[in-house]
Amino acid sequence: MSEAIKLGLFTYDVKNGLGLIGYNVDEHEHAHIIVETSKCNDCSHMMCVWGCPAQCYNFRDQGLEEMKFQYEDCVECGTCYIMCDQGAVSWNHPRGGFGITYSQG
Amino acid sequence: MDDETDFDVIIIGAGFAGAATAFQLLKEGIEGDRILIFDRGEPIGSKNLTGGILWGRELDDFEEFLGNWEMDCPGIERSINHKKVGFLSSEDALFVEGRFASWDGTGGTEEPSQRASWSVLRAKADAWMAEKMEEAGIFVMAGMKIDQLHIDGLDPGSYDARDLTDPAQDSGTGAAQKWKVDNLPKELVDKIRNGSICGIVQDGDVMTSKVVVIAEGTNSVLTRGYHFDSMLHAQSKDDMLLGVKEVIHLGKERIDERFNCFAGDDERPPSGMAMELALSLYRDMSHEAWEKYPNTKGLYPRCGGFFYTNRDTVSCGIIVQLKSLPEGLHTYDLYQAFKEQPAIAALIEGGEAIEYGGHLCPEYGLHRMPHRFARDGAVVVGDAAGLVFANGMQIQGMNNALHSGKLAGKAIAACIADGDVSAKALDATYTKSLKASYIFRDLKRFEPATKFLNDPANFTWVPELVGTTANRVFREIGEEKVTAEKVLFGVRKEMRAKNKANKKGMSLFRMLKLALLGRKL
Repeated sequence: MSEAIKLGLFTYDVKNGLGLIGYNVDEHEHAHIIVETSKCNDCSHMMCVWGCPAQCYNFRDQGLEEMKFQYEDCVECGTCYIMCDQGAVSWNHPRGGFGITYSQG
Repeated sequence: MDDETDFDVIIIGAGFAGAATAFQLLKEGIEGDRILIFDRGEPIGSKNLTGGILWGRELDDFEEFLGNWEMDCPGIERSINHKKVGFLSSEDALFVEGRFASWDGTGGTEEPSQRASWSVLRAKADAWMAEKMEEAGIFVMAGMKIDQLHIDGLDPGSYDARDLTDPAQDSGTGAAQKWKVDNLPKELVDKIRNGSICGIVQDGDVMTSKVVVIAEGTNSVLTRGYHFDSMLHAQSKDDMLLGVKEVIHLGKERIDERFNCFAGDDERPPSGMAMELALSLYRDMSHEAWEKYPNTKGLYPRCGGFFYTNRDTVSCGIIVQLKSLPEGLHTYDLYQAFKEQPAIAALIEGGEAIEYGGHLCPEYGLHRMPHRFARDGAVVVGDAAGLVFANGMQIQGMNNALHSGKLAGKAIAACIADGDVSAKALDATYTKSLKASYIFRDLKRFEPATKFLNDPANFTWVPELVGTTANRVFREIGEEKVTAEKVLFGVRKEMRAKNKANKKGMSLFRMLKLALLGRKL
C-alpha cells in the first residue's frame, strides 16, 4: 500500500467516472463556462487543473503547451471559478435543462 | 387577495431550503397559487449532490404535505443508528464505533423521534419533494435557470446578467477579483446593488413578486451578482470545500449483512452506518508533488473521508479544503487514494460505481459568515447564504437549509401581511430569527472545535501517531507489555526522528495546545 503511494499510482479513472453521469450537453455558443485561455499562459499554479474533479482543464500536467478547456464534462461544481485568480474563468450555470443530470445525487 | 404582483413569493431553487420556504409559506396561509418555485434541474434534483447525512427531524413539521416522509421519500435512504469516526493513514485505520439501539432499529426503540439522522440521495429526494409541492398547489417550474432579478425602476434590458458574474477585464491577480459590474455606469451599479428587488427576469420577460427567495445552493450566481455579501466569500478558496464522491452499488442484502444493518419492516426504515474520517493518506503523494511543483511546498491536502450506507448503494467520498490543495495533486486522485485504503477497499469490495460527482460546500465559520441575508424584497436561504456548519470532520447543511427556509417562510408571510418587505423589515424578522436559531448558536459554540479540527496536525501526524500506537497496543505478541502512554511516546520519538516537519509539529507545547482545543469538541 505505502509502496503504491510512493510510486504515485493513485490514478482515478475520471473518464470512466464521468461516463456514469448523464449529460444533456448544450451547443458551443451556449457554453456555461468561458475560459480566456490566453490568460492561462502566465499562470504559475494551474489550480483549476488540480481542483477540477472532472478533468475539464488540461494543461502542462498533460504535457500540453496551451490550456485546453472543454465544458462538456463539467459537473457544475464551481471549483475552477474559485481557484482561478487570473480573471480567466467566466462562470455561470448552464441554461435550464442542460448540463449534468445526476440520478442519485 | 392582492393581485398587483404576479406572485406573492418567487423562490429560486427547489432544494431543501427552497422547498422548506414554500411549505412554510403555505402553513402561514399564503395560497399555493401565489407561490412560484423555479429549479434549473430537469427533473428537479438532477443538479443536486450531497455527501450526505440529513440530521434532525426538521421534515416532521411538514407532515401535512409530506406524510410519512421517512418511509415514503425515495431519497431518504437509511436511518443512521451506527456511527463511526476515525483516523486513516495509508497503512493503519483506527475507528471509534458507536451502535445505538435507542437511535432506532436494532431491537431498540420504535419511537420515531429517536431516528434523527438519515443517509440521503438528493436527486431522488428533491424530485419527490417537488412532486409534493405540486400536490400542495404550488407552482413548480423545472428546467428553468434564473440569472436576473427584476429591480424596481430598472429596465432589465439595460444590462446583461452575465456581466454581473464575469471577471473584470482589468482584473489583476490575487484575491482582489473585481466584477464587470464595477465597469458599468455608476448609477446602474447602485441600482443593481441597492435597488428594491421585485421579481425575476426570464429571457427578457419580467415576472413580479413581493418577495424573491434566493435558494440557489452553494454556487449562488445571484448572491454574487446582486451583492449579497456571501459573494465576497464565494469567490475565495479560503471558505470552500470540494466534495468528490462515488455512489457504489452493493445491493441491499449485502449492505444489511456487511454493515450489520436492521433490514427495515413495515413501520421502520432500514438502519445504516455513517462514517467520517480524518485522512493522512497524502504525505507521500504530497512530497512527490512538491518536487515537481515547489510553489506549494509544505502544503498537505486537508481532507476528510466519508462513507455512508444508502438503501442499496454506499456513498463514498472525500471532502477537501480548497485552500489546502497543493499543486500537482488532482482532487480525483485524492479520492482514489481514499478508495484504495485497505479499510475502505474492504467495505466496497464487489461493488460497482454507478455515479461520480463533485460539489462545493461553503465553510465560512462564524467569523466570516455573511451578514447580509436580506435586501429590499429578497432574502437568501440555505447553502446560498453559506448556512453550513462545518468543523473539518462533520458537515451539516441540509438541516440548516430546512430550518432557514422555515424561518424565511414565517418572516416573509409576516412581512407581506404588514405590507412592508423592505430589507429592514426582513432583517428584523428573518435575519433576527436566524441569528437566534441553533444554526448560529452551533457555529458559535463550536468555533474552538473548528479550530481544532482544522489544525494541520490532524491531517498529518495525528492519524499516524494514533494509528501506529493503536497498532502496537492492540498487538499481543506474548512479550512483556508496556503502557499505552509509553508506546505513544515511543512512537512520537520515532516519528520526530524520521521527519523534520514532525519534529516541529509534535513538540510537547504544540501537542498540549492541540489537546486543549480538543476538549471543546
